[in-house]
Amino acid sequence: MDENSAERGSMGPLPYDLSGIALLYVEDEADARSMVGKMLAMNYPKLKLHTADNGAVGLELYREHEPDIVMTDINMPVMDGIRMSREIKSINSEARIIAVTAHSDTSYLLNAIEIGIHYYVLKPINYEELFSIIDKILEQIVLKRLVGEQNRRIIESERQLSGAQRIAHLGSWQLDLTDGSMNWSDELYRICGVEPESTPAYYLTFLDRFLPEDREVIKKAIRDAVDDRQPVSALFCRIRRPDGSVRILRVEAEVILDGEGVPATMIGTSHDVTELKQAEEKIRTLTDELERRVIQRTSLLQASVRELESFSYFVSHDLRAPVARLEGFCRALAEECTNCSSAYCSVYAERAERVVRQIKHIIDAFNNLTHYAKCKLVLGEVDLSAVVRNIAAGFEQSEPQRQVEFVIADALLIRGDRGLLQIAMEHLIGNAWKFTSKKEWARIEFGYSDEGGMRVYFVRDNGAGFNMRYLDKLFKPFQTIHSPGEYTWNGTAIGLATVHSIVLRHGGKIWAEGEVDKGATFYFTLEPNPEPGNFIEHPPPA
Amino acid sequence: MAESTIFLVEDNPDDAFLVSRIIGKVCSETIIVARDGEEATNLLQGMAADGSYRQIRLVLLDLKLPKINGIEVLQAIRNSDPLRDLPVAILTSSDNDTDQERCRVLGVLDYIFKPLTADRLQRVLSLTKDI
Repeated sequence: MDENSAERGSMGPLPYDLSGIALLYVEDEADARSMVGKMLAMNYPKLKLHTADNGAVGLELYREHEPDIVMTDINMPVMDGIRMSREIKSINSEARIIAVTAHSDTSYLLNAIEIGIHYYVLKPINYEELFSIIDKILEQIVLKRLVGEQNRRIIESERQLSGAQRIAHLGSWQLDLTDGSMNWSDELYRICGVEPESTPAYYLTFLDRFLPEDREVIKKAIRDAVDDRQPVSALFCRIRRPDGSVRILRVEAEVILDGEGVPATMIGTSHDVTELKQAEEKIRTLTDELERRVIQRTSLLQASVRELESFSYFVSHDLRAPVARLEGFCRALAEECTNCSSAYCSVYAERAERVVRQIKHIIDAFNNLTHYAKCKLVLGEVDLSAVVRNIAAGFEQSEPQRQVEFVIADALLIRGDRGLLQIAMEHLIGNAWKFTSKKEWARIEFGYSDEGGMRVYFVRDNGAGFNMRYLDKLFKPFQTIHSPGEYTWNGTAIGLATVHSIVLRHGGKIWAEGEVDKGATFYFTLEPNPEPGNFIEHPPPA
Repeated sequence: MAESTIFLVEDNPDDAFLVSRIIGKVCSETIIVARDGEEATNLLQGMAADGSYRQIRLVLLDLKLPKINGIEVLQAIRNSDPLRDLPVAILTSSDNDTDQERCRVLGVLDYIFKPLTADRLQRVLSLTKDI
């Protein structure tokens, strides 16, 4: 047979990937071995070819490489093809062996059948016949490989599914509605606290897992789902494990209809949400506790606000009457003393009258202070920069002879009560104006800095400053830290207390830094969304 | 009783004294003092009945009074047929905006914060007619 007739011709290359497939060719005749070897290499370039000149060497090579296909001569020295094939079969019963036989070898044939040699090629070799046999074998090998690959993938995805179920504590099940048999995933067994496949899966054994009071619920849900052909959604039921512990499952299921639209199967999931539910319960407990505390604190706060309210009522009503009376008597005394022989009488009467007026100022200041602390905030957008600019302009007009440089940050828009913030800024800028009065060159700055996500506003001056020792007195009403006569004092010493109160109402904090003769800086923060609440008129529901 | 009268409703004797003193300095009107809201309304009703209410040139009314408060007295006056048009001035030491508004609605000549001064009384009296 010449080489041309051995070409595959119209058959074309095999449509399979042959990489990694090996063939062992055993032949004692060197010429034949070389010729057939070449033909094989030409036709199956991807096929890995091993050759041997007798059965013993062939067997050795087989052990070494475990080729997929063995092609062997029968009659060979040292070890014949039949013996080698028997050995190979004992190593791998699935080994595919092609016997290349001469007519004279027929005596071996019976043995060959017994061994499991399924393929024969007669000498001299008809290549077309040989290649068609090899093609058939290769096709089987490739198919087997594909099936193996698919199996591996299926096993892998099952492994992944099972792993995912295990990680998520999500068990799945399938219920045959005709006979009540079930199929549980491994994780469902584990959720139920038993070894996978350790108990028979039936609808009744499934129901048995649930607590008696929940069993009826799940039974009804499944019955309704089948009747209405609607899914079971987010049903929370408790099961009891053999060790007595109770788990909470979130059950979901769907009904699958058969070809005639009759419910045939139900597939479902049972998600172990015990830890989640416990966490929810804990959050609920904590929230309840927090709410209780808020209510308690609110009522304490209300109580102290009521106390303040009654005290301020006392000051504004009950105290005013005797003070007005005292003022009346002082005036009467002053009037009656105009012709008195003692020069002191009228002077004292007038002084007494002045003291009474001071008392009235303090009462007014106090009432304002308590008003800021409890009035309802009228919230809106406030341009704090514009507010401060107006205040500064007012002071500049009031004392045009003074040299004061104002540095005011632009466009500080905040949410708050315009009226109250105006009052607060008037006090802060007013203080800075007052305590820089002895400076030849005064500087008053209103600015801000963003610190740790919090905007801090400040009013800074280079005036008299203060000794940090008196810091805690600064924001208390009716306390002063400058001696009388040091600065023109026409206030009632509630300015900073008022600012404090207004900043507090805006959910902020206020603090100050100062150094004698160097200046003072007042810092404050404001809550972006302050509570408008009026404590007295709208108490929160208890 | 034919003289022109100022009807003062004041529970506090010191205040009553101070007001009487100022009245004495400003005019020669007779003073009738009622010491609480109930006494005031009873007296006024009696005066309405016998016609002597016509002698009242001015009612000076404190707001914070025992039994019946000043606003109620004012309401009673405005609701009584013969007393309806009596000139009333409020005398108070409290700066309650609500009270002030209610009095304004009911109709008062003046709303005076204590202590009353001679000037202020003179001005109020100038708004009333001589009797």
